[in-house]
Amino acid sequence: MAPRNTRWTRAVDHLKREWQIYLMLLPTIVWFIVFLYKPMYGLQIAFKDYSIFRGVANSPWVGLEHFETLFSNDQFFRAVYNTIQISALNLLFGFPAPIILALMFNEILHATYKKTAQTIVYLPHFISSVIIAGIVITAFSPTAGIVNTLLGWLGIDPIYFLTKPEWFRPIFVGTGIWQEAGFGSIVFLAAIAGVNPSLYESAVVDGANRWQMMWRITIPCILPTILIMLIIRIGNIMEVSFELVILLYQPATYSTADVVNTWVYRQGLQSGQYDLAAAAGLFNAVVAFVLVMAANSLSRRFSRTSLW
Amino acid sequence: MMNWNLYSHGDKFFAIVVSVLIGMFTVATLYPFIYIAAVSFSSGFAAAAGKVVFSPIDTTIESYKYVFAQKAFWVSYRNTFIYTIGGTLVSLAFIIPGAYALSRPQLKGRRFFNLFIAFTMWFNAGLIPFFLNMRDLNLLDSMFGIILAFAVNAFNIILLRNFFESIPSSFEEAARMDGANDFQVLWKVFVPLSKPAIATITLFCIVSRWNGFFWAMVLLQSEEKIPLQVFLRHTIAKLSDTEEFAMTVLDADYGPETVTAAIIVCSIIPVLIVYPFIQKYFEKGILLGGVKE
Amino acid sequence: MAGVSLSKIVKRFGAIEVVHGIDLDVAEQEFVVLVGPSGCGKSTTLRMVAGLEEISDGELTIDGRYMNRVAPKDRDVAMVFQNYALYPHLNVAENMAFGLRIRRVPNAEIKQIIADTAEILGLTNYLDRRPADLSGGQRQRVAMGRAIVRHPKVFLFDEPLSNLDAKLRTQMRAEIKRLHKRLGATSIYVTHDQVEAMTLADRIVVMNDGSIEQIGTPMELFNNPVNTFVAGFLGSPPMNQITGKVTETGAQVGDTVIQLDRDLGGLAGRDVVVGIRPEHVSLQPGEGTTPLPISLDLVEPLGSEALLHARFGDDNLVFKTDTNGQIEHLSGIDTVHVPASLVTLFDAESGRTLRAGG
Repeated sequence: MAPRNTRWTRAVDHLKREWQIYLMLLPTIVWFIVFLYKPMYGLQIAFKDYSIFRGVANSPWVGLEHFETLFSNDQFFRAVYNTIQISALNLLFGFPAPIILALMFNEILHATYKKTAQTIVYLPHFISSVIIAGIVITAFSPTAGIVNTLLGWLGIDPIYFLTKPEWFRPIFVGTGIWQEAGFGSIVFLAAIAGVNPSLYESAVVDGANRWQMMWRITIPCILPTILIMLIIRIGNIMEVSFELVILLYQPATYSTADVVNTWVYRQGLQSGQYDLAAAAGLFNAVVAFVLVMAANSLSRRFSRTSLW
Repeated sequence: MMNWNLYSHGDKFFAIVVSVLIGMFTVATLYPFIYIAAVSFSSGFAAAAGKVVFSPIDTTIESYKYVFAQKAFWVSYRNTFIYTIGGTLVSLAFIIPGAYALSRPQLKGRRFFNLFIAFTMWFNAGLIPFFLNMRDLNLLDSMFGIILAFAVNAFNIILLRNFFESIPSSFEEAARMDGANDFQVLWKVFVPLSKPAIATITLFCIVSRWNGFFWAMVLLQSEEKIPLQVFLRHTIAKLSDTEEFAMTVLDADYGPETVTAAIIVCSIIPVLIVYPFIQKYFEKGILLGGVKE
Repeated sequence: MAGVSLSKIVKRFGAIEVVHGIDLDVAEQEFVVLVGPSGCGKSTTLRMVAGLEEISDGELTIDGRYMNRVAPKDRDVAMVFQNYALYPHLNVAENMAFGLRIRRVPNAEIKQIIADTAEILGLTNYLDRRPADLSGGQRQRVAMGRAIVRHPKVFLFDEPLSNLDAKLRTQMRAEIKRLHKRLGATSIYVTHDQVEAMTLADRIVVMNDGSIEQIGTPMELFNNPVNTFVAGFLGSPPMNQITGKVTETGAQVGDTVIQLDRDLGGLAGRDVVVGIRPEHVSLQPGEGTTPLPISLDLVEPLGSEALLHARFGDDNLVFKTDTNGQIEHLSGIDTVHVPASLVTLFDAESGRTLRAGG
């Protein structure tokens, strides 16, 4: 007697044998639905006149009204502009920093010195943005801060850094480099470690010096990694670490500091205009999604595996 | 290959210049911490006058006394421990079995589930819908809500899944022939074999819980539920409003700057204590996560 | 102990069939070796017996019981893996005890079994060590110990020696054989190494492209290969194969007619492949031998023997000869003598062995 081998009996057979892995997966899937996919359903309030009392489903549709409001709002445009501006500065200064750091670490012979320096420069990555902001606020304080103390020694009058729009971006980007350059160098150090040592050995035999080896061997060999990391950065251009912005900006510096997410935060969570803020958030998310997808498909050309 | 004695003069010079530059960057990284520590042990008067550079001026521990006298400080400190330990355990309880299931070739719809999870890295609904969802779930101002709502993220699952996939299948097959079921394979074979990856994820969870600020600030209203980071932020905000602070603090032994610095030192110290232990894992971990869909 | 029977076993991965209906009966206590080039389906076949791969078609029985849909743990088989699959976080004793613990065997009993098995395998002094602190041969022994402790009906070996260096491999090979003698367990052993197959097997199964080419004792296969594939696979160096034609009295290769002392009736004029084992030729003429002119390329001394690499027409041939401690005299060789009785003829088209009269 041949056992019946229909789709259905096979599915039952499969579940009988493998039910445990489905059970293991279940909590995770439920979690994703409840905490990440349900809010996506809630995104429809971007097209609705949302009121707390009617809830997401029962609020009336208003079409693209919020987007029209958004695109005629100077503050929103300013926030988009600031987001891109800050990201661009981050890219320009923040992107090369870990590469340079990694290349320099690679030249250090003394193992203990290298290890100690690495341990220290990785550390700020693990410090919370509240503390980072606290340090920045203290250090840049007009009367008490070390920065103005140093300027005082040079005979320069105290500057109220954190209230000056023109100082926000340099301070923000500089803080970012201070916090992340060291940790970011790990990826490039790993890429450098992956370079075939015999390349260097044959270069030594050919009479190359360390400087030439860095330019002619190390950098070309880690170029794929550099490109991929660059593409990721470009893909994430809409993602400014807004937590730190919220902690560092103030109304006086909104003109240069306010980014999309901080604007969303103020409009939505502080002023209660949920639907308009959700529309701005949706705009941000869609642009970010397109950028990330483009970056991902681009990076597939540089490496056989995709990024994530 | 790299041997100082075989270096040419030019190479030696280059190496020395690089070592000095690295040294400078390292000092620049370290300096703000030294500065903050120095401020925290200085008198309020000296700090306000901008006299502190490297070491404490008019050394005093009054700022710490002020901080330690605040009940809210201790409450928030305790809360942070609860969020960190509880949150990390809950995260692992979701992530380890989930990642195991996703790494099994026999899981039907595996591609779909992986995409289902990875998609959330590329697109998320944003602050407002997430917040409204939390309100609908009645998880506002709830410690349980904080622990649960940030338990899982796609990155950690994918990181661990990739590690599980890299374990040779013969380990699982051997265990199966020995009669192990999936739970036993996971618990007795995969988990012990994946210590580095699990340590990395634990580390990521601990760090993000310890440092978590924004959502704690948005979602929690009760003073007795807020974590240290939010307390710190409240204090900094209060203290930098100098006029208000001047009403409460007139003593020159401590001032807004020194008290802020003291709280910062208090919240960094646990990180500094744990840091050397976790360091060996995160270099490995960050590389584990990087590649592959 | 029990026999294993495979009947028309098929394995498909998607639309691709990799094992094409295999029939094989392994008797109780028999040691059967599946041998063949990589990708021939031998490992897949073994894994189907283990229950690690689903059987697409056909029937598998162990000890007379239908096993197609039985989970691996319930088949009462144990397997030694190519990479040993020793758990790095457990010491030797716990590695061996793993399966017993899963099956909730009482502690005292486990202890006794581990001690006995360690004794057999010479691992008594290493029970506390982790796999990382063991040599390759010791790891191999632990992997076998893990299979032995369960007293399974059938032992399965998946290329267990391929990760060892040549010297250890020889040693472990002998040990496996000794162990099989002692335990008398039904065993199926997969390897791509024909020497392992020859030395270990009661019967060898030669596989190629998902099918069985020939089943038989080592000497049967060596002496009477059914086709050029089996002839070329077993023996080291492999059998020389020269294209030729059957004449009235022998087989013509180039200008030479190798005299054959057998009935060639009906074969005359056939295109054939003439098979000559490297060790079957002699350097001196003897009774019933045919001289074969060759041009010598290279002499490889192996000690008591030497390999002669030579060309005959377009074919590269290898011969093996005793040295008696001298190789100088070999460099002048231009003729080898082929004994009439030890030449095998294969059909040029199908590769099948041509029997006398057929």
